[in-house]
Parts: sequence; structure tokens; C-alpha cells
Amino acid sequence: MIRDARKEWGIALLLIAPFLAIYGLVFIYPTIDMFLLSFTDAPLIGEGDYVGTENYTRLVDDRRFGTAFWNTAYFVALSVVPGTAVALFIALAVSRLSGRFQALILAMFFLPYILPVSVIYLIWDWTMNFQFGIAMHVYDLLGIERIPVFKTTTWFIPAVAFITIWWTCGFNILLFLAGLRAIPTEIYEAASLDNAGRWRTFSRVTWPLLWPITALNLTIQLILQLKIFDQVYLFSQGGRPNDNLVMVYYIFQRAFQSNQGGRAAAVAVVLFGIVIIVSVLNFQIMRLAGRKQ
Amino acid sequence: MKHLTKMTVGAVALAGLSATSAVAQETVVWWDFLAGGDGVRMQQLIEDFNAAHEGEIVIDATTLEWGVPFYTKVQTSVAVGEAPDIMTYHASRIPLAVDQNLLSEITPEDFEAMGLSQDDYAAATWDAVTVDGAQYAVPLDTHPIVLYYNKDLLEAAGRLNEDGTPMGMDSLEGFNETLQALKDNGVAYPLGSVTADGNFMFRTIYSLMGQQDGELMTDGEFLAGDNAEKLTNALTVLANWTNDGLQSTYTDYPATVALFTSGEAAMMINGVWEVPTMVDAYEQGNLFEWGAVELPVIFDHPSTYADSHVFAIPNGNDMSPEKRAAVLEVMSWISQNSLFWATAGHIPAYGPVTQSEDYAAMEPNATYSSLTENMIFDPKTPLAGVAGPIFDVMSTYFVPTLNGEMDPAEAVEEIKYELNDL
Repeated sequence: MIRDARKEWGIALLLIAPFLAIYGLVFIYPTIDMFLLSFTDAPLIGEGDYVGTENYTRLVDDRRFGTAFWNTAYFVALSVVPGTAVALFIALAVSRLSGRFQALILAMFFLPYILPVSVIYLIWDWTMNFQFGIAMHVYDLLGIERIPVFKTTTWFIPAVAFITIWWTCGFNILLFLAGLRAIPTEIYEAASLDNAGRWRTFSRVTWPLLWPITALNLTIQLILQLKIFDQVYLFSQGGRPNDNLVMVYYIFQRAFQSNQGGRAAAVAVVLFGIVIIVSVLNFQIMRLAGRKQ
Repeated sequence: MKHLTKMTVGAVALAGLSATSAVAQETVVWWDFLAGGDGVRMQQLIEDFNAAHEGEIVIDATTLEWGVPFYTKVQTSVAVGEAPDIMTYHASRIPLAVDQNLLSEITPEDFEAMGLSQDDYAAATWDAVTVDGAQYAVPLDTHPIVLYYNKDLLEAAGRLNEDGTPMGMDSLEGFNETLQALKDNGVAYPLGSVTADGNFMFRTIYSLMGQQDGELMTDGEFLAGDNAEKLTNALTVLANWTNDGLQSTYTDYPATVALFTSGEAAMMINGVWEVPTMVDAYEQGNLFEWGAVELPVIFDHPSTYADSHVFAIPNGNDMSPEKRAAVLEVMSWISQNSLFWATAGHIPAYGPVTQSEDYAAMEPNATYSSLTENMIFDPKTPLAGVAGPIFDVMSTYFVPTLNGEMDPAEAVEEIKYELNDL
């Protein structure tokens, strides 16, 4: 059959045109606009004057930016790898169960994931309430001094990281379970015929074959946690917001509280850059690690 | 969309009146952020207004979420020309709103048309809606903080005057004596303080600064001269109450109210908006004998931080003269009928209401309304106001200081740095 390549191109273009138009309108155009905005002193809404790279250079000495940067890094460190590890551990445990019991246990781990963040906030805020929280009674029973968890800088980020893992690990467990089910049982049979112990089976069979899922999980988590905002914002209400800042919170403060669209855009561009660099690095490391195995 | 909404509302309104008249009825689109007890009372006022203006004006009211969401929504709605005809606002946010060109000026002619004038308002309240000599809102109320107290516990500790007010309200020593007496008498928390919420404590601390004539902002600079020292003094008083075990620590807002109403805290500094809570609980027999008075004079003279709920007209709507007249009528009518609004605890801003005999009979409102003479408002800067950046800076350092984690002087240094860095 003689194919008209040009005609096919035309049809292809026609078919993807709606997508391209929408993608350009709601993603490409705003992104370019954000870059341009970051070089102006624009308010949240409206035009601003060109100020060169001032919005960027002042970030160097900006204390709140520093706090936001390091808190974000700290949060990522406390949530990405631990969160993935917890999910893997639970998935391994759940996969040993079977039938309805497995479904029940899985549902229990998945339940927090379907709750909206505001509900998560209310549950934990009351649990940890300094005067009336249930957790505080547990502290009293154990003879530990009560800790105002969300009001101290020492405990704030670790607590929010813990809650985030508790909240979101249901989804990661599902991914891991799917990965575990995809490993053919013959390999396990072969391993047991060769007298491989549990640890050996895990380290030589499960772990390498599950690696693509682990890498995927880590990448999703990394990008998600770099953009952390909701939980930090909610748990900071009335507390010590400027000590608990993370990058997106700082963007929010600049844009919506201080009405400085230009300066907010500059921080957003920096975060954009960080997410790209970290994701590419992460991807390369995962690839290398995967090849080694 | 806007036209569609208008048409729908118009159609509904017309259907309601079809039999009565063909006179054009003005629909006033109204946004407020009044939820809870205030909201119910405002709803009642709106219904009363609609009933009194049947066939002429009807208010189409929507209640939105308080704080940053509300102010952001106003900003975007003005930008795209979808703003309401009238909205509630906080006086403390007016400087930022004017800066953003969000508010339509309320001219002297407008005030004349409403039958309201500067003389009807306290000087501080009038000043709070004024930017560069022009008025941008009509004050509805002022909502200061007051000292709530448990008469039973104070009496048991021997610190209640014969007229039912607490003793020691005129000096730091006197007030400390009252707190100590309560403590010695077995009260867990002599003073319930919202120590977990630095935003909230700003009101108390700023009041104590005002008692020393301290100012947050002078000539565009924060905490210049001895103002830093005055803030340190204020923080030290509160930090000492914590160190001496006289006030609740790390207590958030609902917990503070719970401590007070359950009798674990004998006194509480809180907004007047909690008055209805107490009134209702008392009527249902769930509360002890209680009262509310102006804050104690810890330093030189009485002073209380207040903010105002105001009515404002957003910019950018092409408003017909008839529509604007209707909006002015709404503001005027509700101001003049704001006695009912006082049951929400707020002090009506319109003088003739608070001077009326009916208001004098309302307790504890009539007792604490004397503080209107000693009110101070937020500094006039776009950075001020509820949910504004100043609040965040303050909160960040107030929380550790008020709970004994940070030295007041150190906190003030940090606050000064961050405020001037905004």
C-alpha cells in the first residue's frame, strides 16, 4: 500500500491539536509567564516593572528563604526513603496474607489515604492537643513529659513527616503489592529448591525484581514531598509559621499575604529548578543502581 | 455568568412580587466572612432588612471562609469585575486593600446620603477606616479583647469586689496578687491564655504595648527607639506569668475556652465574640456566675487592641446610581439597627446605638464598652491586619517566649529584624 506520509502527519497533528492547545494554554504559557514575572515587581494581580535579577539576588540573604529551603530538604529526607521503606515492609507483610483477611488488612492501611488533608489535620491536632489530646494521656501513663508537638521547632517537621507517611503510604503499598504479584512464583519455587533462606530470597529475588517499582515509588515521593504545603500550612496555624516554612509555603506567603507576585515567582522558579535537578539526579542514580543489580 | 445569576435572582425576586408592583427592585450582592454566632445574627439582620425594604431592595448574601481565602477571593473578583456590591472587611486590612486599589471611596456625600457622620463614631474607629484623609468603609462594630472571669472562683479566693468585678485591675502588682490568690486557692490555671497561638496573643501583647504608649511602626520603621523595649516589657510580663505557673501553656484557642468554661481557668483574655457562648451556656445552666471587663492596667494607662468589622464597596463594578443608593441604604440601615448585632458581643460602632438605654441594659456589654475610649488599632501599613505578614512574624516568636523557651529580649531582637526585613 502506498502511504501518504504528509497526509498522515496532517491527521496526526489534527488529532493531537486539542491536547497541544490545552497543554500550551494551561501549562506552557503560565510557566513562561512565571519566568517573566519573576523579573518584575508585579503584585499578585496586575503588571509590574522590570527589576532585573533583584528578586533572585535578594534570596541569598533572605532568612525566610533559607528556613524554607532547609526545612524542605529536612522534610524530604525524613519522608521519602522512610516512607518508601515503611510501605515496602507493610506490602511484604500483607502479601503473606491471603483472601478476605488480606483485603481487610489492606483496606485498613489504605483508609487514611482517602481522607482529605483537613480531616488529617483535625484528627492529629486533637490527638496531640497539649491539654486534652489522647496522645498526651499516653505520655502521662508512660511517665514522659508532655510535648507540644506542633509548637516546637524540634518536633514539628518530624511529626509532619510521620503523619504524611501514615496518611499516604496506602498508595505506595498498593504499588508495591502490584509489583510483588508480578514476580513469577516459579522463581520463588526455584529459590526454595536451592535451599535459599528468607533473607537470601528477599535480597536476591524480591528486591532486584521489585527495583523498578521501588525506583518509581521513590521518584513519585521525591517530587511530591518537595512540593509539600498543605500539612505544614495547617499545622502551623497560630503556631510558629516562620520557623516551619517550606518552599511552597514561602511562595504562598509572598504571593497571597504580602501581595508580591514577582518575588513569589522568583521563589517558584527556584523550586522548579530544584525539582528538575533533583528528579534528573534521582533518575540517573536509580538507573545506575538498577544496572548494578 | 454574572448576567445569568442576576437574571435568575431577578426572576426569583420578580416571581415573588409579581402581584404587587412593577417597580424595579435593586438586588444587592453581599459577601461576608461571618460564620458561627456572628453569622446567625447577621443573617437575622439581613432578613429584617429585606422585610423592611420589600419591593425596593433585596440582599443576596453569601458567607465565605474567613481570612486569606476571603481576601484573595475579593482581589481576584475585583480583577475580573465579578466583585459583590457590598462586603464585610476588617479595618486592619484597609491599608492593603487601598494599596491594591480594591475599595471604592465612601465620599462625604455618601455619608450624608446615609445620614451618618464622623461624630457618630469613636475617633480611633473613624481613623481606622481612613487612608490619606479619605474614608474607604463604614464601621459596623469594634471587637476588642476583654478579660472574662469566673465570679465564683474569684470570690472563693477573696479577690472579688462588691460590685462583682475582680480586684487588682489597676496595676501589675494588684493583678499578680489576684492571680497568686487564685493559685493558692487551688485553681489550676488562674489565667487561661491562648499561648499556643501567637497570632491571637498579638492582641494582648499589642494592648500592653499601648498601655506604655508604645507603637509598632513609626515613620515606616518597626520598633524604632524605645518601642522595642516596650514590647520586651509586655512580653516579660506574660512570660513571667508562665514561669510562675499562673497561666496555661501551649493552649490553643478552643482549649482555652474549654479551660475557662469548665472552671479550670479562673480568668481568660479573649475576644468579645465569645460573649454569646457564655450567655447561652449560662442560660442553659451550664456556666458559673461570670463577667467580662476591660483589660487590667498593667502599665501606665488603660489600652485595648481592637479591630473593626466594616462595610466596604469593592472597586471596578459599574454601579448605577440607583444601585449605589441601595448599597448605601443597606449600610445605613444596618448601622442604625446594630443593637441586635451587639448580642454577638461586638460593640456597635455607631455611637447613638451604644448611647441608647437599651444598650446600657445589656450586660456585660455595657460594662466593657467603656474601653472604646482606650482603643488602639493596627499600625497603618499594608503588612498589618488579620492573616497578614506581621501576624506571622509575631506568632513565630511569641509562642516560644510565652511558653518559657525563649528570652523576651532575644525574641524582640528577632522580631525587629524580621519585621524590618518584610
